[in-house]
This record gives sequence, structure tokens and C-alpha cells, in this order.
Amino acid sequence: MNLGNLRRFIAVAAIAWASLSVASEPKPFGSPATHGYQPIGVDEKGIWAESDETERELKNSKLLVRDEKLTAYLNKVLCREVGSERCTAARIYVVRQPFFNASMYPNGMLTVFTGALIRFRNEAQLAAVLGHEFGHFEARHGLLGLKSRRNTASWINWLTVISIGAGQYQDYRTAFWGNHYRFSRDQERDADFRGIRDMGTAGYRTLNASQIWSGLRSEDDATATARGVKSLKDSPQGLFASHPMNAERMTYLADEAVKVGVGNDFDGAAEYEAAISHLWPMLIDDQIKLNDFGGSEFLLASLATNGWTGPLLYARGELYRARGRATDVQQSALFYRKATGMPDAPAQAWRGLGLALARNGDRPGAKPAIDEYLKRNPQAGDKPMLLMIAGEAQ
Amino acid sequence: MNRWFCAALVVALTSSAALAQEKSALKPGFVFPNDHPVRILVFRPDVKVGSQSAGGIVTPMADWTAEARTFLANALVAGKPKGASEIVFMPELSGDDGVLLAEYRALFRGVSDTVLQHRLFKGNRLPTKKTGFEYTLGTGVARLGQIGGGDYGLFITTDDAFGSTGRKMLQLFAAGIAGVGMSSGKHTGYAGLIDLKTGDLLWINADYAMGGNVREADGASKRVAQLLEDFPLQGMPIAAAK
Repeated sequence: MNLGNLRRFIAVAAIAWASLSVASEPKPFGSPATHGYQPIGVDEKGIWAESDETERELKNSKLLVRDEKLTAYLNKVLCREVGSERCTAARIYVVRQPFFNASMYPNGMLTVFTGALIRFRNEAQLAAVLGHEFGHFEARHGLLGLKSRRNTASWINWLTVISIGAGQYQDYRTAFWGNHYRFSRDQERDADFRGIRDMGTAGYRTLNASQIWSGLRSEDDATATARGVKSLKDSPQGLFASHPMNAERMTYLADEAVKVGVGNDFDGAAEYEAAISHLWPMLIDDQIKLNDFGGSEFLLASLATNGWTGPLLYARGELYRARGRATDVQQSALFYRKATGMPDAPAQAWRGLGLALARNGDRPGAKPAIDEYLKRNPQAGDKPMLLMIAGEAQ
Repeated sequence: MNRWFCAALVVALTSSAALAQEKSALKPGFVFPNDHPVRILVFRPDVKVGSQSAGGIVTPMADWTAEARTFLANALVAGKPKGASEIVFMPELSGDDGVLLAEYRALFRGVSDTVLQHRLFKGNRLPTKKTGFEYTLGTGVARLGQIGGGDYGLFITTDDAFGSTGRKMLQLFAAGIAGVGMSSGKHTGYAGLIDLKTGDLLWINADYAMGGNVREADGASKRVAQLLEDFPLQGMPIAAAK
């Protein structure tokens, strides 16, 4: 770069800098979880209004799980964790998506996917995720993220234009976006630490936060083994990963667990099970449809650590029957039959048994199972088809 | 690296608006009936107004969006579409009706995206979609007509991002120093009309470079006039009985 270009570069850079900083815009202060808080400044007002619009749509979405008892329980856990004043700023929605995720919006809307609910082993793990999301909210990570994206993109464009003007084109994208995503991962770590601190204060066993991530890693292994591929749990996610790797989160949360909430021993496994078990048929059904045999087997087995219940045996039958390899259908019939012997067997277990036996050519065996199912569920939507399979005239 | 490549790169970097293009399509042969008053039911418009930074990132603007929503609704009532006898707005719905409405809004978005991508504009048309105009949301939509009390349903979407000072300065510098052309601001919108008995899509009009500053009442009127350009006409009046 010659001297003239350099001078030009400095002049333009100075103007660019000036245009990036918006003057006289009020800076948000205080916690947005304060009672009656209203967004401050153009940016915060903008992202709140945008989130309000999203919330408006979500309220009428078919994917929203409308279960007041469940929502009340999630609210209760959040309030126990962050205190009854702060927690009222958040509104929790359960969204029917069979993947492990939860999200916080700048306006206090907190969504939890059903795929997360099936993976928590206890209330403390739920609290770890709710606390993490609440941490994003209180620290205004949405607002800071917008500012970071905006500054990153603006710097890239200014510098690119300048480099072209100077006759020495340079690509700034990798370095600048890489920096933005490093910032994003820092926010995630910050939210993790805020969450685990709140867990500790509320009396939850803090090691549970780490165990979420070790559980997900084991599930990755199970998925990969069943598919005959290499597990991706330790593959580097690269420069543009928005979150730290599960291994890293597992490690630093375990380290933190020996510092905060020392002596806490409340897991809340029974509480969690009582609040969630009525949803399991739906959660398991959605999980099985993901066509992830290994991951689903792993999840069912971890749900069955205290013994195989009727619903779990039924689910396992469904999983095997859905895969349908040579011995799977036979195997599924065994699970269904075992399920029908349990006091808590769902009616669908007889349906599965009938279908599995019929599929293997055992019509005489299928008929009583199907009859029993229709006795237990006379309103079955697939009644005509089942009667046909059972060999009865309609 | 040559300058043209760099120019193309900057354009790509800055998510500039698509080529300015505007187009509408009408279901062949459709005219509004003229033997009874036509009530057009307007669904809550999708309105986004933001500010575009030098890097092209859009910051949503709460006040601008709220104002634009009001101005656009007023302009719709004032500048009644040509074929309409009456404009009614879909009320807020909750419960099962709210879910049904949300589903049809989503379905309309899906269908109109398809029309915009594969039917309306040259370049990406599906060979089977170049002629004809056969799209429908299905007869189930009639329920919305009953709830809102309308014969036809009008969906409106506008998406605006006004170039910030930084964006405009970069635009000037890019042109002056680097000789690179760059857009500032994004102003797109489309409107679609459906038959609330059959669910058929009757008409659609889209524009990727719209006029009319939606943050002002006058601008919003201009925007609505552009959105409703080529709106289907009412049928020729029946000759008075002799």
C-alpha cells in the first residue's frame, strides 16, 4: 500500500468507525427480569417486538403442547431455581419437536422442545437447562448477539471495499465471523455458569448439569454404532460453531459442580417422572419416528434403569416392529407380550402384538390380541383395518 | 483478482435485493361476480420494518413496524381494492379457530413462496408451471370465510429495511473509491387473493423493489396501491333488464 492509499485508508476507517457507533441511544440497564421491565433503546425495543410477533404465532401453533399441568410444573421448577420474583418475567412454552433443544427470546419467551423433556433424567437436569436459558435472558445475550452480528458484517464490508479500493483485495469474512462465533460460544459458557450457580442456590445437585452432556455423548455413540458409522461426538465443529462442544461443556460443568452447590443432594427424579410420565407415549412415539434405532434404544434403556414398565416395553416393541429387519418383528412380539403382562400396559400393546403376530403369519394368535385391543379401545380409528387383519368380516 | 469479481463479491456479501422485478398473475377467466356485493376479508398483514446496517444486517424497528401496520390498514380501507364492495378485517382468534387460522396462514405462505419461485418470475420457472395458474389451499378454508364473514381472502406481506446512515456512506464509498455498485435498503412485498369457498388462489402480485415509505401515511397509501396493482376487476355489469 503506498502512502496515498494509506492516508485514504485511515480516513475511510475513521468514518467507518464513526458510522458504526450510534450516538445518544439510551443503553439498557438493570435486569430485564425486574418486575414490569420495558425494553430500553431502539435495538432492545426492536428485538422485543420481533419476539412478541414470534410468540403471537407460537401461541396458535399446532406444535405447541397445550398442557397446563406440565407448563405449571416447568414454571414451578424455574421459580424454585431463580426465585419467585425473577421467574415471573419468563413465559415457558413446550414445543413438539423431537430434538434436544431449548431457546430463550429477548422478551422472556422460553421454549423447551419435547426432545429435551424425553432426555432429562430428573428435575435437576431440567433446572440446568431452564437456568441456562434464563441466564441468556438476564444477560441480554440476544441483544449483544445482534450487535455483534451487525458490527461484524459492517467491518467486513467496509474493509473489503477499502481493500478493493487500495487494489489489494482481501477476504475478511473468515476472521471476522470466526470472531463473532467465538463470542457466541462465550455467551453459551456464560449462560452455563449462570445456570449452574442458580441450580446450586436452589439446592439441586449440580453434577446433573454435566450429566446432560455426557448422556448426549453416549447417545451419539449408540446412534453411530447402530448405523455402523463413527461417532461424531468428538469431531471438531470448526470455527463457526455457535455452542461449545458437548465434551467441553460436560467437563467444565463437572469442574464447576464441585465448587457450587456443594452438599446439595436433590435430583428430583420422582418429581420429574410424576410430572412428565403422562407425556411419554407421545415423546417415545415421536422419537421412534426419527429412524434412529440406536439412539432410541439407548433412551428407552436409560428410562428403564429402574425396571421395564408396560409403556417402555410397548415402546420397545414399536421400535423393533418399525425397523422391521428379519428378526425384529419376532422380537417385537416378545416385548409386546411382556408388556401385556404388566399392570400398566397401554391398550396399544395388544394392537402391536396382534400386528406383529399377523405379520409373521400367525393369524390365529393375532386374533385374540386384536380383539382384546378393540375391547380396550372401541373407538380405535383403524378398527376396520384391524378386523380385516384379524380375519373377521366387517 | 479482477475488479468485476470483487464487485460481484461485495454484492453477494451485502445481501442486496434481487433484481428489480414486479409481476402479477391471475387465474385465467376470473372476474368478481357483479350480482351481489363482494366482501373481501383481509388477514393480519405480515409487516416487517427494519434498519439495514452497512454490513446488510437488519435490525428490527419496533416503532416503524407498529406505525406501518396502522398506516397500511388505513390505506387498505381508504383505497378499497377495485373489485371489492366491502373490506373486513379478520378478528383476533384464539383456541381451535386460532390454530386453524395459523395453519392457513402458513399454508398460504408455502403456496405463495412456490408461486413466487416457480411460476411468477423468469429464470426459475418450472416447465409445467409456465402457463396456467392452478393453486389452491383447499376447501377447508371456507371455515375462515364463515368466521370472518368474507367471500374472498386477501393476504398481504411487506418486508422493508431502510438503509442506515452507515449503509449509505458505505454505498457512496464503494462507488467512489472501489468502483463497486451496492444497494441500500430492501423493500419487497406481495399480495394474494383466495376464493374463500374453493380455496383457489385467484391472483397474486409481487414486487421486489417497492415504492412508498411505509413509515408514513402517504407512503403507505402508495405501497397499498402498488400491492393491489392489477387486482382483478369486477365483471361487466349485467345489462339492465328490459
